[in-house]
Amino acid sequence: MKLISLLDHLAATPASSAAAPRRDVLAQLGRAAAAALPLALGTLPAAAATNDTPLDALLQLLQLERLQAALYTQGLAATGLIPAGQTADFQRLLAHQNQHVAFLTRTLQDAGSAAPTAPTFDFSGRRNVASNPELFPAVFSNYDNFLALAQQIEDLGVRLYQYQAFNINSDTRLTQAVLRMQSVEAQHSAHVRSLRRGRGATVGTWPSDEDATIVRPAAQALTTAATGGEANVVQFASASTQVPFSTFFLIRDNTAIHDPALAEAFDEPITSAVGQAALNLFS
Amino acid sequence: MSDNLQPRGSDDAAFAQPLYTPIKRRSFFMYAGATAGATALVLAGCSKDNDNNPVSNGISLGSGDVGVLNYAYALEQLEAAFYAQVVKTPASDFQTGELAYFTQVAAHEAIHRDFFKAAINRDAPGKILQDLTPNFTSIDFTKRASVLGAAKTFEDLGVAAYNGAGILLKNAAYLVIAGQIVSVEARHAAYVRDLLTPGSFADDNQVDANGLDKQMMPTDVITAAQGFITQKLDASSVGK
Repeated sequence: MKLISLLDHLAATPASSAAAPRRDVLAQLGRAAAAALPLALGTLPAAAATNDTPLDALLQLLQLERLQAALYTQGLAATGLIPAGQTADFQRLLAHQNQHVAFLTRTLQDAGSAAPTAPTFDFSGRRNVASNPELFPAVFSNYDNFLALAQQIEDLGVRLYQYQAFNINSDTRLTQAVLRMQSVEAQHSAHVRSLRRGRGATVGTWPSDEDATIVRPAAQALTTAATGGEANVVQFASASTQVPFSTFFLIRDNTAIHDPALAEAFDEPITSAVGQAALNLFS
Repeated sequence: MSDNLQPRGSDDAAFAQPLYTPIKRRSFFMYAGATAGATALVLAGCSKDNDNNPVSNGISLGSGDVGVLNYAYALEQLEAAFYAQVVKTPASDFQTGELAYFTQVAAHEAIHRDFFKAAINRDAPGKILQDLTPNFTSIDFTKRASVLGAAKTFEDLGVAAYNGAGILLKNAAYLVIAGQIVSVEARHAAYVRDLLTPGSFADDNQVDANGLDKQMMPTDVITAAQGFITQKLDASSVGK
């Protein structure tokens, strides 16, 4: 990320009244998160540290939101793809993603940074090179393919937000906004999953081991980012101590909870690297 | 944007006091009509009662991060108890798959409840909120519409609560785990909304013009939830 140039730019930018509320971001945006990742991140190596700055986080989330907005824009424009009864659903998804793009862009601008030019997204997975192999066939002509991709990108979004919330937590307003965008993404995912279930897919409202796998061997980076590690049933109590879920979770009638529920009850963050590998499939 | 979102800067004197005073501040009369179990708790508390705050606002959830954790624990207790009852006495007019769905959600909420119980006992021994007694008399568990309406209330409230409380946490590890939970609550919310009114997931009642989901601060959430909880709760110190 172009951190140094941003800091130079910030130093040279007079604080306008519009920028004034962003002083706290200005102070923090380019500063690396000093702390190690919390141990609660059970899917990550316990010693993992993050070098992501708040700026890195905002830029990556902007790329994610632009990707989502492009997916729904193109999907809504594709004749005959989305059934008439579900058009409004995707108009709502698109509206939210556009609002998130605007919010993140404005936040970057308030902090004195220009949002980078949006890439040309290619949902075939060919990365805008016709000779590259097609990773996602018929996304805009086969509704099931479209929904499957939408589900994965929404799940990817939820998990990336969870990780980046940690990286921007020096700024309370941004942290809250990121949390609030994340829960919108989760509602999107839940709804897309319901739409798929309505069309016969074996898929729950939340990521589960009981979901039928979306098979795309050549696009493993997306599968990993969307649901890899979601089967995690371990949350760490400390560096070396796991929370012993299986021994103390008893619900009604003292029936022990089955393992899928343990995994389902927590969505799992992904690192920015895992997220970026998936984002890179589309541009 | 506004300084009142900042979690810090509260009265320093608060930090000089014990973070949490779960029982001993209770006035004895608070428990008139409470269950035998709660009465035993307050009796145990009275022996140590030396406070000088005779006017109680209810059971304090505590301050600082442990207050936030107790706050989440209170809400998860409520949700877990609600769904346990839904599963125990299913509505006669549930449609296909709905009982199975609520059974799964009941498991999630019980896991969340027990997760917070474990986390609080681990990180703040002795400061955990007591077991709460739910009051679901306003819910007709025999009727699907009543159950779905209550579920929507609880899930929407839960999402708004987590979204509001995240910034009150000082420990980033708690922030991450709260994020891991709120997204599951948001999934529940979207699903039950779609059950009630297809396509009402993440609608304009929940998501503002910036695409941000609703957030509520602890005292507002507890005010909204209080009707479902027998004990009176005081969230005024949460996160402070």
